[in-house]
Amino acid sequence: MTRQKRSHHKLKRAVAPYLYLSPSLLIIGLLMLLPMVTVIAYSFQNSAVLRRDPSFAGLKHYQAIFDDPVFWASLWHTLYFTCMSVIFHMTIGMVFALMLNSDRINPTLRSVLRVLYILPWLFTAVIIAVIWRLLLEPNGVVNSMLMQIGIIGSKVEWFSSPQTALHAVTFANIWAGYPLFMVSLLAGLQGIPKDFYEAADIDGAKAYQKLIFITIPQLMPIIISISLLDFIWTMQVFPLIWITTGGGPIYSTEVLSTYTYKLAFSSYNLSQASASAVVILLISLGLTLFYIRYQKAR
Amino acid sequence: MAEVVLENICKTYGNNFHAIDQLNLSVEDGEFLILVGPSGCGKSTALRMIAGLEDITSGSLRIGGVDVVDMPPKDRDIAMVFQSYALYPHMTVSENIAFSMRLAGKPKAERKKRVDEIAKTLQLTSLLDSKPANLSGGQRQRVAMGRAMVREPAAFLMDEPLSNLDAKLRVQMRAEITSLQKQLGVTTIYVTHDQIEAMTMGDRVAVLKGGVLQQVDTPKRLYESPVNAFVAGFIGSPSMNLFEATMTGAELMSGAFAIRLQDAAFVRRPGLKSYAGRKVVFGIRPEDLYDSSLESGRKYQTIPAKVTSIEELGSEHIVHLNIDAVRVDSGDPDAVQDFGLTSNAVARFEPDSAVRSGSAIRLALDDTKLHFFDPETHLAI
Repeated sequence: MTRQKRSHHKLKRAVAPYLYLSPSLLIIGLLMLLPMVTVIAYSFQNSAVLRRDPSFAGLKHYQAIFDDPVFWASLWHTLYFTCMSVIFHMTIGMVFALMLNSDRINPTLRSVLRVLYILPWLFTAVIIAVIWRLLLEPNGVVNSMLMQIGIIGSKVEWFSSPQTALHAVTFANIWAGYPLFMVSLLAGLQGIPKDFYEAADIDGAKAYQKLIFITIPQLMPIIISISLLDFIWTMQVFPLIWITTGGGPIYSTEVLSTYTYKLAFSSYNLSQASASAVVILLISLGLTLFYIRYQKAR
Repeated sequence: MAEVVLENICKTYGNNFHAIDQLNLSVEDGEFLILVGPSGCGKSTALRMIAGLEDITSGSLRIGGVDVVDMPPKDRDIAMVFQSYALYPHMTVSENIAFSMRLAGKPKAERKKRVDEIAKTLQLTSLLDSKPANLSGGQRQRVAMGRAMVREPAAFLMDEPLSNLDAKLRVQMRAEITSLQKQLGVTTIYVTHDQIEAMTMGDRVAVLKGGVLQQVDTPKRLYESPVNAFVAGFIGSPSMNLFEATMTGAELMSGAFAIRLQDAAFVRRPGLKSYAGRKVVFGIRPEDLYDSSLESGRKYQTIPAKVTSIEELGSEHIVHLNIDAVRVDSGDPDAVQDFGLTSNAVARFEPDSAVRSGSAIRLALDDTKLHFFDPETHLAI
């Protein structure tokens, strides 16, 4: 092989990986990076999108949203909605996974429960919103059941009352999201060697001690990974809240996603909406970095 | 410390499968008993029943004179070393060893003192803060031992604790466990499928097959006087050669050769005379077969054989042979590994033997070392 041929071959080998990657890089660039960069640019412009030659606005739009009490209420609602959802997704997912993994439950019943428990996962956000709007209507099933057993005295307007609306949408989201934890934790439980529990039995461990000292530490990598992912996803939930309450009443269920949407498509203040979107992006980015660092540390 | 007594222990599963059938075994205080047998013989099930990890279908089990059949594992005063070691990966060596004390609510200072003592005995002091993932196989094995020792139990139960180690380390750990057991003097029941472990470690060895106890004896007696063809074939490596032959007067006739038996053979086994004119199973260990061209083999009678292959181990040659006789299956599923598919006998020759693969030789045999079994029942004659 001549020297020229050899160097040509070398170049081909060096370029080949980038050629293989180029289609996916092009798609990511066009569909993800370009919109992201554009939104960041909009957040520093006056009358972005609406004018052909928007002027530079500096941090004006950021200042505006930070001065808006609705933004801070949305941020608080987002945190409440997200934290409660993640905590209850994890707790309910863990309890159901432990039940499904237990050999004390009849295998037939276990199969039935497995199907029942995973049902919420089969519905789209729109269907979940419609189901819970019907169930939590003032004349719905939930009110009549709670009144019958005497927990409430009169009909509660779950989605229409500022006192209950945020709890109601959070509840609907918890119901919709726990199966992810349940399935992941069940897979984790089935991977814990039986020997660990037998050794603990011989050492005299009680059921709760086995849970604390063996099960939870063994599941910890799954718990942390899924919790972080759930946190990132739940922070961005839009359709469920939009269809059930639309962010109301009186901003009581306004979260960052609905707040941003309204700025963009109700007030047509696309610059301020972009600034709000950048704030959401930064929070998500922070969590994602935390997740990536955790994954690397493992 | 305590004696462990099993009386008529049975284990039957839902599909009427008898995993253990009428097991009677008495392990004396401080004794090291080995439960050995091929895969699926019920040895691990028996051990797990003693530990309380499997229910006992019927029979009685006493540890230190106390009937423990209905007791949960924690109240049986036993400690177990698992095949996988069952070390908790999220705990350090120290936490693993002290786990049972922590569960029992023992103060931290007491836990530390005890862990330090055990770590010193097992040479684990420098590893106390390490996690099991950072330990070698042998170190993990020692941590598992430490976790068992910390409880100061009446009996140790060990379920194939060396099977995950490589061959060299296994030899070292065999010696370590044996000397530790002698030092502690704790009654120990040790399950293995490896008959070398069985022969080298235990005070006595119990051989199981199909859930039925075949023989309990010292390793030496088990080797010299097996009660049936299965024990004869299972104990010893390579396995004993077992063949079918016909007793004709004082000779064993098989195919093209005959082996003369001395009077002493009939004196030692009076029952052998009744097999005159009938078929009998005879067995001879590989080390009782000699290369007739060497000094060691010249004093014995010879039979014709063809060498099929030779394994030169340095200190000896394992020679695979074909002789004109029908090999008898001892019932040991591992025996095929010793004999292979093309030979029916195996011999241990001295390293200066010059036999070649494919050559026809005269095989010398020490007829005083022959074993005899009934062809129907496979019981020793």
